[in-house]
Amino acid sequence: MTLHTRIDTPHVPIDTPANGALTIANLSKDFRIGREALPVLDRIDLDIRAGEFVSIVGPSGCGKSTLVRLIAGLDTDYAGEIRLDGKRIAGTSLDRGLIFQDHRLFPWLTLEENVGLALLNTDIPKPQRARIVAEHIALVNLTGFEQAYPHQLSGGMAQRAAIARALVTEPKLLLLDEPLGALDALTRVHVQRELQRIWLTQRSTMVMVTHDVEEAVFLGDRVIVMDAKPGRIRRIVDIDLPHPRDRSSPILHRLRDEILAELTGPQVDSQAPENLVHLPVREVRA
Amino acid sequence: MARLNTPAARILLGLVVPVLLLIWWQAQSAQGGARALAFVPLQEVGATLAAQIVSGFLLNDVLSTLSRALTGLLLGGLAGTALGVAMAMWRPLDRVVGPLYHAVRQVPLLGWLPLIGLWVGNGDATKLLVVSLAAFYPTVLNSYEGVAAVERRYVEVGSLFGFSPAQRFSHVLLPAALPLILTGFTQALAFAWIATIGTEILLGAPAGLGATMGVAQAQQRMDVILVAILAAALLGFSINHLFARLRRHLLRWQPVLA
Repeated sequence: MTLHTRIDTPHVPIDTPANGALTIANLSKDFRIGREALPVLDRIDLDIRAGEFVSIVGPSGCGKSTLVRLIAGLDTDYAGEIRLDGKRIAGTSLDRGLIFQDHRLFPWLTLEENVGLALLNTDIPKPQRARIVAEHIALVNLTGFEQAYPHQLSGGMAQRAAIARALVTEPKLLLLDEPLGALDALTRVHVQRELQRIWLTQRSTMVMVTHDVEEAVFLGDRVIVMDAKPGRIRRIVDIDLPHPRDRSSPILHRLRDEILAELTGPQVDSQAPENLVHLPVREVRA
Repeated sequence: MARLNTPAARILLGLVVPVLLLIWWQAQSAQGGARALAFVPLQEVGATLAAQIVSGFLLNDVLSTLSRALTGLLLGGLAGTALGVAMAMWRPLDRVVGPLYHAVRQVPLLGWLPLIGLWVGNGDATKLLVVSLAAFYPTVLNSYEGVAAVERRYVEVGSLFGFSPAQRFSHVLLPAALPLILTGFTQALAFAWIATIGTEILLGAPAGLGATMGVAQAQQRMDVILVAILAAALLGFSINHLFARLRRHLLRWQPVLA
């Protein structure tokens, strides 16, 4: 019940999010395979406002997961600049959270212990930690499952637990690397809705990589469309719709189809253009 | 089939073969003559058992063997786990110590006995050393595999939450490797038990199930040997059972395999 009041009165007014502005300038990244350097990201420039929700879509091999790992600080070998609130990123930090496609909860800890362990290196006093952990478990609607081990949770529950663990340190920037990719369609819709609710509550900056274009436009203030080999930003689409959004909105559907066409367009063989013909049909049905 | 799975049914089923063997044994001993010497009548074994219990002789043997085996298991197991973990975490150590370890463990423990006897003598220290070595080998191997196989993705989670090397060790590497470390200890337990009774038989001791077996063999006391064998079997079985329960408790976070 407290959840509802929290939505009405977010910690921070919507117009003035605390901080969490991300600046990416001239970012390039190579992978070395043998003696050859394979470019994965090529001169990426991107400014993400504090409190913004940005979705990144693109074909596989476009380096979107690499980009997220670089921002998280798991990989520090890159050329160019990545700055969070002006500070260059040179390693992991509690300022930046990351949610993976696999939930990565430690199987040997209960849900409560998993979330609590994230606070190990914070300066939150020990007596307050239990309360904060309970609050975040409630935030993802998992109250009652505190003592469950990860293998006892369903896929959707485990992923929500991973979200609670990533949020408990209150990172300025939350990175999501295909967080719902492993979930079935129905669960995915549920967790998308929760993600949107949590984002409206917390107002931290969020950057989400996804291969689901519908998910990208439903959640994102902007959608970054990327090209593969080497990874470049192809287009940035503004989604100028207020949150929370209506999934059946015709504007969202049109944007989705546009982006899908953009992604599938040049890769379609000139001899087999049928792929594109079906797209308007979907729009009519919507 | 469900009925065969109740505890009572399982105990009864487990007793079928031993009881048949006892009946066969008793029939053999009834043949008289030389047979009666090799197959001592069960009532004689029972009388010896009762006498040894009353005199405290059996208890003394059991405690000696038990303390020898458990001390060796603890010393060898902890040292082995420490070395295995260190080798998995620190490549140079693996390169330097690994080949020697893998060569040395190919030699059966009994092969080392003359050499160890020469260095350390035939006393308690030798027995403890051999038992510790028996526990040492499997724990090195398994703890090494356990730590080496820890998934990178869990280490990355620790990195995201700013774990120090010590935190990474105690919160990620050790718990992730625990299943294999415990497998090492399970094997070590079996080897340490065999090594304890084996060295007691070969080297003798003031007290101990193996020492009693050795003496009784020289005196052709089949009844005494049988009592010692019975005690060793039951004790080993119980320790294994207790350890399996401890293991299940420590690994309660693992999904139960169907």
